[in-house]
Amino acid sequence: MNSVDFPASVIRLENGLTLIHQEIAATPVVVADVWVRAGAIAEPAEWAGMAHFLEHMIFKGTDQLPPGVFDYAIETQGGMTNAATSHDYAHFYITIAADMLPQTLPYLADLLLHAAIPADEFGRERQVVLEEIRQAQDDPDWLGYQAMSELVYEDHPYGRPVLGTAEILQQRSPEEMRCFHQAHYQPDQMTVVITGGIGLEPTVELVKHAFRGFAPPPPCPPAASARVPSFPGVRREILHLPRLEQSRLTMAWLGPGIGQLETAYGLDLLAAILAEGRSSRLVRELREDRQLVQDIGAGFSLQRECSLFTIQAWLEGDDVDRVEAIVCDRLSELAAKPISEAELTRAQRLLCNDYAFSTEAPGQLAGLYGYYGTIAAADRCLSYVPTLQSYTGDRLRSLADQYLTPLRYVSTILHPA
Amino acid sequence: MTASLLQAPRLHRTVLANGLTVLVLENPVADIVSARLFIRAGSTFEAPHQAGLVSFLMGLLTKGTDTLSSMAIAETVESVGASLGTDAAADYSVISLKTVSADFAEIFALAATVLRQPSFPLDEIDLERKLTLQQIRSMQEQPFTVAFNQLRQDMYGEHPYALPGIGTEATVGAITQQDLVEFHRQHMRPDNVVVTIVGRIAPEAALAQVEKSLGGWKAPATPRPTLALPPVTAAPTCSVVTQETNQAIVMVGYPAASVKHPAYPALKLLNTYLGNGLSSRLFVELREKRGLAYDVSAFYPTRLGLSQFVAYIGTAPENAATALEGLRFEVERLQTTVLSDEELQSAKNKLLGQYALGKQTNAQIAQLLGWYEILGLGVEYDQQFQDMVTAVTVLDAEAVAQEFFHNPYISLLGPEEFVAPVAAAQAWA
Repeated sequence: MNSVDFPASVIRLENGLTLIHQEIAATPVVVADVWVRAGAIAEPAEWAGMAHFLEHMIFKGTDQLPPGVFDYAIETQGGMTNAATSHDYAHFYITIAADMLPQTLPYLADLLLHAAIPADEFGRERQVVLEEIRQAQDDPDWLGYQAMSELVYEDHPYGRPVLGTAEILQQRSPEEMRCFHQAHYQPDQMTVVITGGIGLEPTVELVKHAFRGFAPPPPCPPAASARVPSFPGVRREILHLPRLEQSRLTMAWLGPGIGQLETAYGLDLLAAILAEGRSSRLVRELREDRQLVQDIGAGFSLQRECSLFTIQAWLEGDDVDRVEAIVCDRLSELAAKPISEAELTRAQRLLCNDYAFSTEAPGQLAGLYGYYGTIAAADRCLSYVPTLQSYTGDRLRSLADQYLTPLRYVSTILHPA
Repeated sequence: MTASLLQAPRLHRTVLANGLTVLVLENPVADIVSARLFIRAGSTFEAPHQAGLVSFLMGLLTKGTDTLSSMAIAETVESVGASLGTDAAADYSVISLKTVSADFAEIFALAATVLRQPSFPLDEIDLERKLTLQQIRSMQEQPFTVAFNQLRQDMYGEHPYALPGIGTEATVGAITQQDLVEFHRQHMRPDNVVVTIVGRIAPEAALAQVEKSLGGWKAPATPRPTLALPPVTAAPTCSVVTQETNQAIVMVGYPAASVKHPAYPALKLLNTYLGNGLSSRLFVELREKRGLAYDVSAFYPTRLGLSQFVAYIGTAPENAATALEGLRFEVERLQTTVLSDEELQSAKNKLLGQYALGKQTNAQIAQLLGWYEILGLGVEYDQQFQDMVTAVTVLDAEAVAQEFFHNPYISLLGPEEFVAPVAAAQAWA
């Protein structure tokens, strides 16, 4: 199962759990990062927000472990713990001195496998999630991102906020959450990544021992059907928000899912050519030379079913239409004219170095393996650098032509109310 | 995790003939070199009418030199996939760079050039001013920032810590090229600079690189500028910003010890106890037990001058009064409640453990070493700090709470109907 060059070991345990391990010599730290294929995309529509709310409730203990004991145990040993939820995954991690892992990993496993989800804690923690939603609603960039997601993804779950809504969360019960938890927190949906100052053999023993005794999965309402949208033409939405000091323009295109990883990496290169750094095309023209924008950036976000390519500008309201038209024009140009060797090399070096810079610490490495392990396969991240380096300007040009067309995209505009 | 990494003989400290300090640490693990060029001049050196000058100046360093245009600098850096950035803090400013080892010499030489020979082109000044003014206005979009700026202003009055490093619309609007040239001439001098280099590079090679780029830089005969800060008179207030937000922000701030004050390690421990992590006192009492917030925490920045100890919470507007009472109760109870030995030991483990976790990457190590050196604490402070934290007793912690946690400055933000009555009640308290 291990590819020749992949520096980590990937082991499938008997119960179906995937373990990824990499020893890093000379570091006294270990990171344990557990990824579960139970993000917002696993929710039925009427349970929107469940995956994220569950992530909070995982920390509320088990029959053996009262609420707060886990956090206290990790942090008083000088470690750190936290969690995050997105559409494709939820993940839970601890960073701790290597010699403390045998004592703390079983706690984390107990929480993940046997979360009690007590009713009184459920009610209290719901208040916390509602505060999280209130805070997000005071953030104009979060509001803009949600509006854009809904417009581009239509009924696909990627269009729903991971946080869910207050209205839906008020109707959910601890029983429903236990059902969701037991159905999805199963060994075949879980990847345990351990990186840092611990050898393979003790790691395997530790993980085998801690991650056992999964409850049998109960019947659970199925995930919302996930049709990948294919919208024709251009869709625009304009929102007016209070307290906004500057307009925003976000343009978005759908990209391929994990099945076309090479294409996805090519879109990463196009994002770098367009708007990574001051000498990129759009930053140079629109911010440095013509001074039409405060800032402009491009981003490619890889997701399991379909990815998202965005170009976002912060600018004066009067310049929005003009900038949108210029961006469309530059995309047509990108698809029509050859990309220079210097531009291609620049983008390749930027991204290859970024990759090196973001795998320096055990936590970064664990995150990378866990993410790929969850949406594809861990060793797929290994193809990133060689794939980038194999791209030619011509191939990129045809990618731009296929994916970044000015004839089919979504644009979300925020103006001050 | 480098308790051993930071110790001699692995860490090389050299002072060049021109007074420039160099710290080099070889760390061959990854093919990465991180470097920092620290300058002993932060926003505290600004005259009140020039607030934001240092931040503005640092932003312009990479926008033109005697021989290179802004775009030429960007192209040099980006074509090799390196990073080169600048930052201005209250007590220092810094140029940061990161490269794969093969590109280090070229990008370090460029960093040295932008430090020594910036040209502050007029058209780049205009663009930077336009972008900065908009950035100042955009701070108003973030409720936390608005509430914090208000707290800082109330607490510090005429002291430079009163303002965000970026300055105000009025002061940034008035900055001239002459101001930049003058500030650069006064403060950017080799005996005011500390260079740290950490990564896959031999110490001799790193030192040779610094000698080559910065060794010929002459220090002026005039003495280095010294700092004279206005005193801060404590006069706690309660201020309100009314906004129709979904959440209210409640913040309390206590004037607190500078990094050189003996109370510093104990206050760092109390900050950890109250506000650091999922098992911290504020998190457990106000979030886990009462469901009042998603975000509740405390922070105590490390400052050469008078610092501040701030606790804050974002909560539903109708809970603003309860949240304020809860924050104050938790901080001020430490005046009369002695922590148990276990509580104090837990806070020590947490603080020292996370301190160690903050030294994992080359960039983090380069930052920490240079920061201690530029603040005048010396690289030995890395160990001294840990020793001082270990030595704090429960009685020390209580004494420090009694010294610092009196009447706080209070900053409130939220819908008028909810926050105005809370402020009015404070006026009567």
